[in-house]
Amino acid sequence: MALGIKLENVTVGHATNITTKYTLVILGFMSASIYYKLGKKDLQRFLDVVASKMEVFVPVKSGEGFNFLKMEKGQEVDISGYVNTEFPAKGIFMPDGETLVSYGNKSICEVFDDTRRAIFGIRPCDMHAIMVLDKAMLGHGDVEGHYKERRDNTLIIALECSKAGENCFCESMETDELREGFDLLFTENGKEYHVEVGSDKGMELVKAARSFFKKSGKMSATAEVGCKKVIDTLELPAVMKKAASSKIWKDVAERCLSCASCTAACPTCFCFSLKHEPDISDLRKGVVKREMDYCMLLRFSRVAGNVVFRQHRAERLKQFFYHKLVYGLENDGKQHCVGCGRCITECMAKIDITEEVAKVREKYGKK
Amino acid sequence: MERNDTYMPMETKVVKITDEAPGIKTFRLEFVRERDRKKFDFLPGQLAQFSLMGVGEAAFSMCSSPDKKYIEISVRNVGNVTSAMFGLVKGDTIGVRGPYGRGFPLSEIKGKNVVIVAGGIGFPPLASAMEYMTKNREDYGRIWLVYGVKEVDDLIYSKRMEKWADAGRVEIIQTVEKGCTAWDGCVGMVTQQVKKLKIKPEQTVGLSCGPPVMLKFVSHEMQALGIDADDIHLSMERMMQCGIGKCGHCNIGDKYVCRDGPVFTLYELRLMQEDVW
Repeated sequence: MALGIKLENVTVGHATNITTKYTLVILGFMSASIYYKLGKKDLQRFLDVVASKMEVFVPVKSGEGFNFLKMEKGQEVDISGYVNTEFPAKGIFMPDGETLVSYGNKSICEVFDDTRRAIFGIRPCDMHAIMVLDKAMLGHGDVEGHYKERRDNTLIIALECSKAGENCFCESMETDELREGFDLLFTENGKEYHVEVGSDKGMELVKAARSFFKKSGKMSATAEVGCKKVIDTLELPAVMKKAASSKIWKDVAERCLSCASCTAACPTCFCFSLKHEPDISDLRKGVVKREMDYCMLLRFSRVAGNVVFRQHRAERLKQFFYHKLVYGLENDGKQHCVGCGRCITECMAKIDITEEVAKVREKYGKK
Repeated sequence: MERNDTYMPMETKVVKITDEAPGIKTFRLEFVRERDRKKFDFLPGQLAQFSLMGVGEAAFSMCSSPDKKYIEISVRNVGNVTSAMFGLVKGDTIGVRGPYGRGFPLSEIKGKNVVIVAGGIGFPPLASAMEYMTKNREDYGRIWLVYGVKEVDDLIYSKRMEKWADAGRVEIIQTVEKGCTAWDGCVGMVTQQVKKLKIKPEQTVGLSCGPPVMLKFVSHEMQALGIDADDIHLSMERMMQCGIGKCGHCNIGDKYVCRDGPVFTLYELRLMQEDVW
């Protein structure tokens, strides 16, 4: 818990000289969060106001599930039955096939997308996932400029969960709670949303539609979402390391189809390839695109001369599991698995990360 | 808003192409812009991304001396980008991004004897190191260079090796896996030659680059000679796309070869959380 302290300058005027005094103003615990209430009936009107300023992405039901789609003019947002999107919001920050570089006969430049956007309905687990992506793309030395451009221009209106989905295990990963990262955080409370302001940009959104918002206090703790699936994370990296050459990975590999659905659906999988695409009508022109790529695929680690470093499915699966449950915590201080359960939902072979981890614990967890 | 160019290649012109061996060419590149040349300050063993617009990019380590106004790469024609490079002529353009990663620790190993083991097209980064060390000859002790290829025709850099030998206290041993009548040198794997070296292990470091299997056995032999795992520096190859530790292709466990390597000590490799070789 942090004590927020603000430095304020107080100008004291005299007839001839002006002195400035600095006063420490204690803002209270957990910084100075500001809270509002928004009637559910006003959600659409609020989003319409936001949409007058920028693109707004909302969960839209399409086929069996929801996905983030751009809200079209006059479109009514309907989130009844919304638990989470089939595919995570990473596609808004790193769209598959985004143009990075454009070149002509004599010119070449990088292309950035600075469209202002807001995403409504990001669940806490996915907000945590975005913070993982931030570390990967913006931290550790170099900055991925194209991710940064989109991230800097995108506001996040997160939405607390009231009920867990079939495959959720966010409570295990401690991603069911959200304290940072969002610009606004909505929590359903009867006929209203309780709204927490998380940033200046979030505050601006409230100000732009001020008449819909009523001042409010901090909300009391929300009920637990009640995940059915569980991962025991106690000293998990250490336990996983003992299983590094375990037969467990070979057993999973027997079932794995190596289709990469898990990695495509994972909100923290960020691997990509760069693809040169010449203009067929004029080969002097073209673009370089970033395509999402997946470590589950055989070709992912293939180098010239047809050497493949992760030849076996077991090695590729192990990389995925360890990236999610070991490496993130060790290098970023934050697990890369956020417990959204999408890899379980999307797996055609019904491979369940929580079950596999339970097997590892069973075999290697004992002292 | 400040934008972060990430993938913008610097323009270079091909000023010289040397046929080194069947399927291996060396390209000498000069930066078109002076500021790019100044920015591209590399250490032997570091890598860069070389692009042909419309074809793609490939990562190579420079084989030239880092103090030259130009950079050179030796390329074997094995992939999309390299085969397109083989169609280039003098005056053509190649894009360059970099340098990236961690090279050989040539400052840290000053005063030491150095065993260098090069295998096939793994020679280029070590050639750059040889250029540097022979130019600063007094900074280093004895140097052994063991260089192995499959067949006699595959041998490259013969003139450069003569020049390095002239720097003094440099012993060069070449070996081919498959001998022929015209070859009176060593026949066999590099490891057989490394085995025979008479070195003072506590004063000696090892540098190596080559195919994964070779690196595995070379590191065994270097250890058998008594060189500490901390003093064995190996340049690793992996698939690379971005070069800046983002795209994930070059991961060995949680490490990024492009960013944390490509040169790792054997000690570091042993701590890797994935099979290395």
